[in-house]
Amino acid sequence: MKADVSEELRMLDGMARDFAARELVEEREEHDRYPFAPLYDDVLAKSLEVGFFSIMLPEDAGGSAEPVTALCLVLDELCRADASLGGAVFTQALAQEILRLAGAEELLAREAEGDGDLAQALIAFPSYDNPSEAGNCARASRGEKGYELSGEVEYVVLGGLAAHALLPARVEGMEGFAFFLVDTGHEGFTASEPVLSLGMHACPAVDLTLSGVPARLVGEERKGGQYFEAAVDRLSVAAAAVATGIMKGSFTDALEYCRQRKQGGRHIIEWSEVRMLLSSMAVSCKVADMLVECAARAVDRGEPGWELASRAAALQAQSLAPEVTSNGIQLLGGYGYMKDYGQEKRFRDAKQAQPLLGITPLRRLKYIRSIIDGEAAW
Amino acid sequence: MFEGMKSSSLLDRDPRLVDIMCSLDNAGKMPTGVASEIREAVALARRFNEAVARPYALELDRKMSEDPTYIPWDLVKEINRWGFYTAWIPKIFGGKGWNLGSITPVVEELCSVCAGIGNLIGVQYFGLSILFAGWNMRITDKVCREVVEGERSGEPCLVAGLVTEPGAGTDAEEVELLSKAKVRCHARRVEGGYVVNGTKVFISNGHVSTWHMLIAYEDLERPEETMILFAVKNGTKGFSFGRMEKKMGQKGCPASEMIFQDCFIPDEDVCISASQMKGLKRGAKGTGMQLIDFVVSLTRPGVGAMGAGVARGAYETALRFARETLVDGKPLVNHEWAQCLLAEMYANAALARLTYMECNHVNGLYGMASLLNMKPMYYYMRAVPTAVLDRFMPAVNAADATTRIFRKLVMDGQTEEEARRASGWASLSKFAATDLGIKNCQLAVEFMGRAGIRHDGWAEKFLRDSKLLQIYEGTNQLNRLNLFKCMIAPWVPEAQVFEE
Repeated sequence: MKADVSEELRMLDGMARDFAARELVEEREEHDRYPFAPLYDDVLAKSLEVGFFSIMLPEDAGGSAEPVTALCLVLDELCRADASLGGAVFTQALAQEILRLAGAEELLAREAEGDGDLAQALIAFPSYDNPSEAGNCARASRGEKGYELSGEVEYVVLGGLAAHALLPARVEGMEGFAFFLVDTGHEGFTASEPVLSLGMHACPAVDLTLSGVPARLVGEERKGGQYFEAAVDRLSVAAAAVATGIMKGSFTDALEYCRQRKQGGRHIIEWSEVRMLLSSMAVSCKVADMLVECAARAVDRGEPGWELASRAAALQAQSLAPEVTSNGIQLLGGYGYMKDYGQEKRFRDAKQAQPLLGITPLRRLKYIRSIIDGEAAW
Repeated sequence: MFEGMKSSSLLDRDPRLVDIMCSLDNAGKMPTGVASEIREAVALARRFNEAVARPYALELDRKMSEDPTYIPWDLVKEINRWGFYTAWIPKIFGGKGWNLGSITPVVEELCSVCAGIGNLIGVQYFGLSILFAGWNMRITDKVCREVVEGERSGEPCLVAGLVTEPGAGTDAEEVELLSKAKVRCHARRVEGGYVVNGTKVFISNGHVSTWHMLIAYEDLERPEETMILFAVKNGTKGFSFGRMEKKMGQKGCPASEMIFQDCFIPDEDVCISASQMKGLKRGAKGTGMQLIDFVVSLTRPGVGAMGAGVARGAYETALRFARETLVDGKPLVNHEWAQCLLAEMYANAALARLTYMECNHVNGLYGMASLLNMKPMYYYMRAVPTAVLDRFMPAVNAADATTRIFRKLVMDGQTEEEARRASGWASLSKFAATDLGIKNCQLAVEFMGRAGIRHDGWAEKFLRDSKLLQIYEGTNQLNRLNLFKCMIAPWVPEAQVFEE
């Protein structure tokens, strides 16, 4: 993914790699015990400090205004070690992108004012849903003092951590949905215990119940779907980078194990069937890597058809990752299934990462609908 | 070109009909009572699922995630009360003597709700299969009657099988590999017995078992020729439990490390030794492989049935979701693509089921319990009350002559053809059905999106549970090689297996 990137991005990539090695690898199993062990607040705080939560944020709002390629490089590096942090960084970037697309710069800028305060900096967001499809929306009503949100929104990522949540809601009497920003500490805002999930345990999500919580409208009332789809166009490739990083981590550890482990009197890497499995993993990693590089470049340069490139990269990388990480366990045999090794976590994380941005088959149908409606297929 | 050839010679050509369609041979020989036994057993499993497994499975999984050292004793006792731990012990050893053909459908049923709980029940018969496979009638009688007594008293007596070692997973399942393996579980001959040193790992049900069927080796340089099978009871000096593994799934069933340090095991607890094997027609190495094959021919279709179970559980979870979810204003279940996906999942579960059902036929004809499937024996054993058998069978089983006769009859009586057919089909079911199982779990999670990754949505647990099925009882790669060895290589003279 690094063939054609600037020196500045190479430095960012190296920094992310060092960060992952230093902060994520050794304590991976313990971090993953959340919610049955404390959350790694220290790692999140350091992530904020080095700028992982504001990579694409406009400079005016205190961010680095980097291209999507930068986000992909960082996600790839982090997710090789532990995709939980990748999930948090991705969710934050998605929420920021929606705010940016909605022209809500003043809200983004407000975030930067948090000045090192993790909760103030983070934005909770239901990053596993397309609100138009899933119907996972609150209800918004307009009163004398402005909008109020009520109802339930499930599986809001970072919901137990962030001081703000960006939530979709249906406005009474209108089609579609709009986005609103709410303060999570406000009366009427209730978060469930962390939802126990398949993977990315340290990227927590909660179910929210809202009862007349004051909310600020983000952009225009009728345009929630439009902002969301535009954000998906741009950030699908970042979801692909999450899947790609997980795959690469799985392959690297499997290869190393196969060099060490002996069965039948020789290293298992000498068995041709083992090599076939490794080869299949390596090819998938390479394909995903090329996809992300190519799609991220297309997005950054605004090449014709960049939107489909980004979405195709996500669908493909996300569907490769479960297979790759399953083989990653298989090559370690019984050890691969145990928590002492990182492989079972990667298997769970890969599948956890698949429905980012919405149910996969529905995203596939959406993809072909774009082509049927006239977009060029390639 | 086939004109004039006899049908029999046509059917004997590769692929031979007896190899590829065992059900055809067995259908007519199968006692009709087996079908009603299967129905009753499955109905019991469904009752158990509704009363015990479904209300508890997620809670147990969560509890084990929170505290991986938790041992589910209450659940083991509940299963014991339901009678699952003695159901398939033959009546001659005091058990209920259900036909073995009913165990796989029951395992499917249990695993369609929770593969961890399914394994907590099913793996009892892995341990027992190893016990049975040595055909030591005296020890088998002793251990089985303790299991039966455990059910009566309410203090469960489970039996675990100890095969895998830290350095020997795949190697421990195949004698051709064993000869090059680095096994470490050593049995040293001493007066009156053996002293065992070594460690076994990933032992399902280890911590909740009372008896442990231990495979060790008298000469670590020649393990394939010096295999020895012991029955070790809790409390034996020098035997201790190590850690409980922190697994991704099937958390309800402990996976244990078992440690032997200068553990003296008396001769009376030796089920079968290499010197006893030497007296049989296959010799020590061949009989060692036969013993492994006896076991895995029964247990690998059992894992296949677990594959069918998770495939079905995933399918049923996806169907429920499709009925409860609206997409574009209409139920997901009425979208054509979703219907095709659900049909695919239904078929995957059905195909997995067909593989283990075929193995039931193969085992009915050639497995180590095939004697019990012969109609006169079957109906006699069904009719005779256990109480009557209990009056004389312990004494009969305790006689050395009984062990000698059964070993001659069952071990030496089994032909190579029969052994390879049973082993080959068992491998086919094991890898094919478990691959289908995990495939369905992947599909279900994908289909359900956010709901699929939540613990309370069930699908993610099926996925975590299912992955282990591709690993234990021989990895699916080993089972592919074993299928090649048993079903393909015999017709390919130049084929060499495990010698790359």
